[in-house]
Amino acid sequence: MDWLRTLLSRCKAFLIRNKLDQELEEEFRSHLEFATEENRRRGMPEDDARQAAMRAFGGMTQIQERYRLRRGLPLLDTIAQDVRFAARQIRRAPGFAAVAIITLALGIGANTAVFTLTHALLLRTLPVRDPGELVRLAIDVSATETDGRNAPLNLPIIEAIEKRSRSFHGIFAWCVYDFPFKDGTVNSGIHGAIVSGNAFESLGVRPAAGRLLTPADDQPGGGPDGLAAVISHRIWVERYHADPSVIGRHITVTDHGATIVGVAPAGFEGVIVAEHPDIYLPIEFQAVLYGQPTKHDGGRLWLETFARLNPSVSRAQAAAEMNTLFPSILDATVPPALRHLPVIEKARFEVKPARTGWSKLRAQYTEPLLLLQIMVAAVLLICCANLSGLFLARASARRQEFAIREALGAGRLRLMAQLFVECLMLALPGALLGVWLAWMAGPWILHMLGNAEAEQAISMRPNLAVLSVTVACAVLCALLFGMAPAWTASHTSVDAALRNSHPRASTGGSGLRNFFVPFQVALSLTLVVVASLLGTTIARLLTEDSGYRTDNVVFILTDFLRVPEKGEALVALYHRMAARMEEFPGVDEASVAAQPPLMGGRWTDDFVAAENAQYARPAEAMENIIAAQYFSTLGISILSGRDLQNNDSDRNSCILSRAAARLYFPGVSALGKTLRNVIHHRDTGVATFHDYQIVGIAQDTKYDSLRESPPPIVYLPITSGEGWMTNAGATLFFIIHARSTAAANLAYLATLHEMAPSSPEIPPIEFSQSFRDSVARERLLSVMSGFFALLGLLLSCIGIYGLVAWNVARRTSEIGLRMALGATRMRVFALVMRQVIGLLAIGVLTGGIAAFFAARAIRGYLFEIRPGDPVIFALSALLLSFVGLLAATLPAHRAISIDPTQALKTE
Amino acid sequence: MGENKSDVLQGTLDLMVLKTLESMGPLHGYGIARRIEQVSDDTLSLNQGTIYPALLRLQQRGWIKSEWGTSENNRRAKYYSLSRIGKKQIDKETESWERVAATIARFLASSR
Repeated sequence: MDWLRTLLSRCKAFLIRNKLDQELEEEFRSHLEFATEENRRRGMPEDDARQAAMRAFGGMTQIQERYRLRRGLPLLDTIAQDVRFAARQIRRAPGFAAVAIITLALGIGANTAVFTLTHALLLRTLPVRDPGELVRLAIDVSATETDGRNAPLNLPIIEAIEKRSRSFHGIFAWCVYDFPFKDGTVNSGIHGAIVSGNAFESLGVRPAAGRLLTPADDQPGGGPDGLAAVISHRIWVERYHADPSVIGRHITVTDHGATIVGVAPAGFEGVIVAEHPDIYLPIEFQAVLYGQPTKHDGGRLWLETFARLNPSVSRAQAAAEMNTLFPSILDATVPPALRHLPVIEKARFEVKPARTGWSKLRAQYTEPLLLLQIMVAAVLLICCANLSGLFLARASARRQEFAIREALGAGRLRLMAQLFVECLMLALPGALLGVWLAWMAGPWILHMLGNAEAEQAISMRPNLAVLSVTVACAVLCALLFGMAPAWTASHTSVDAALRNSHPRASTGGSGLRNFFVPFQVALSLTLVVVASLLGTTIARLLTEDSGYRTDNVVFILTDFLRVPEKGEALVALYHRMAARMEEFPGVDEASVAAQPPLMGGRWTDDFVAAENAQYARPAEAMENIIAAQYFSTLGISILSGRDLQNNDSDRNSCILSRAAARLYFPGVSALGKTLRNVIHHRDTGVATFHDYQIVGIAQDTKYDSLRESPPPIVYLPITSGEGWMTNAGATLFFIIHARSTAAANLAYLATLHEMAPSSPEIPPIEFSQSFRDSVARERLLSVMSGFFALLGLLLSCIGIYGLVAWNVARRTSEIGLRMALGATRMRVFALVMRQVIGLLAIGVLTGGIAAFFAARAIRGYLFEIRPGDPVIFALSALLLSFVGLLAATLPAHRAISIDPTQALKTE
Repeated sequence: MGENKSDVLQGTLDLMVLKTLESMGPLHGYGIARRIEQVSDDTLSLNQGTIYPALLRLQQRGWIKSEWGTSENNRRAKYYSLSRIGKKQIDKETESWERVAATIARFLASSR
């Protein structure tokens, strides 16, 4: 208790220390007077009495100092002193402070912006109980080792895992959905999710109001409250003003009545990152919407699945167990028609940590974000080098001040601490400004992700984690750029500095300064090279001929699960609808396809020329399933033969891309030949096949990505009745080419209402937009890296300018003397520039080496440009040298305009 | 500083102050210092000023309190007095000091 009372008393004393100082003085004075009086009474003369009293008291100043150290908070006092002193220093050089703060704001702002995104997308731990136990269960369907594609699961698979695996508990499924939503007069779309009844229980989250979903809600026919819905905390506050009476309210979701039973906790945004459901419904809602068979469909992978690891089961053990169980689970759940598709045969089961949830954006953006993070760190280093240089220059101008303070008894540590406080006082406002800049830039960065949902769902508002990282950044910066000057300052020899009255004659720290410029130049060159390579990449990608017409073409996903037509009738409906759309004014062509191009979807299948089937091995080709007019809609010319027709006679026809024709029929015309689709049943070793007559050869196009050269593509008609089309053909794409997007949309909506009124309207995707978004990652990388490179370049220029200006100022009298002795202006100019050229050369050389390795590290992102492209390297080096020299010319120019008489007089 | 006077241990001075206040009632700094000097027959090398850090320490622990007052010859001075906690503390401090003193005495006796 004593220490607590002491601390409180110290705090109080700290606050009223001025008053206490006065009191102490008064107390001492009265003490001396008492003593003097007593001495006088004993008969001492007045003067002696006072002297004796003071002697008896002891060293007044020491006692006062001891008293003060004990009384308040001396550490705080010192800091307050340092802060006041630093504030005076900063006020004395406002220009310097402004440059420092802005430099830091740019550097720290860039870091904060990138880190906010990294944190939101990759690092934020889910606000749930024991997040470390969470794993995501998925099927790895990647074509190659590195592409990391994975697919979700479905209910039959989940039930099989529950039954057979001993590794998990609390397995739950999650599927993001957009619903039409009605509540009274409110009629809007709502972003939602259907989740297993045990999802909330397994996550261990508590409701903000009411209750969360339970397994009892996830039953056919609904639970105790009928169709139960949980709303997000966000809409509870925004739409219902946090009114608790919202519990029990009846709402309408996709034409079905539901009851709000509870509110999810604040800050809970589900387990899928960058998606924020505002309403949660049980998985049973799938059955309500589309019928029980779709809920239990084993041929469709649609449920993101999460689970908790059992105690003492490691993730590796769980994965090993699942790998042995997986084939038999597939046998039991996948419909026989699909079981032996190559994609299923090659699939592996995946158990991945889900502490931070999961997002499909991660596969795409993890590496680019890390790359950007490294780049912004480089920018920050350049900032620090810059400020370090500036501070060194100032420190050497303040050498006398330091010397005087040291002579007066300031310890070296005290001097360093004081300088550090000064740096921190520049770094913290810089960081604050940086956070603001990052916040402002946030929407713009998000937009470049090219994902509308993520743009809405990801909050770029700086949160606690981000702010602490930013502050740590600022402190680190202050340490980095304050270290060098503090070190030199604290190693100033007192008498040398005092004796040498001319502040400019000192050379302290110039060695260090000379190191900073090449360092900055090297980093900037690396940034410039990387940015140029990425910039070239995006330019090449966007001008790359994909083989498609992109203007005025829209893709519209269909959701025909509820139309009465099934099978062949459904195919006929598609044909009729496409034909109907073409009747509308402004619509040029309309067609149907299973895969819209360049959207990242990828179907592959094994084919062989029927005539060679005896000896040739089947080869893999891309596949698409289409209706007539597909080629004319997308502007692909048919090189020979004809288009497919929307009738039964073309049921077993196909069209090959030129690459496919060359692959399967090298050297001969493929037209009229027979192509055999081979389906291997790996377990039985039996292969079945289906033959298609080749009726046309189409121009080559890219398939799922702009990066690859046109692959072999086999086009099959939707009439072929491929049983394994997604959702038995209920979700295909209409592809419409029209005078305008609006005309296309109008035709689609009218046709939909007329011929498939039970189906939801789905917003169209503009091909030109999706084309650009297909390179969103490269766009983000190139724009951001370009910006950072520019920033680095600018900062380096300031650094070079600062160094040269400082050198010129330092050597004014020397230069004056040289000129008085007959040096020409040219020679003086050369003298100043020689040093810069040397430093630039070192910087460019080391930067070139660094850039070489950096470029190799990012080669995976480059397109049609080699990482070691000599033109890029040469141009970047030239740019840097040019800009660097330009920055040096200004102060060098000042050197040659020095007036010798003036310069020598000031000596 | 007198060579043959002994330095005052920190805790000792505290106890002396407490004891002084106990026997004398409220007293100002000078009074306390003089009283200690008198009681110890001037054998302690007490710079009178050192009393003030000790007073501060005791105040911070809440054992004594202070207020400004006027002396008999009409001089303003800060008067220190025991607080409730301080009164209780005296016994504890005395006891612990006696224990130490007794221990030391035993050592001195045994080495004789």
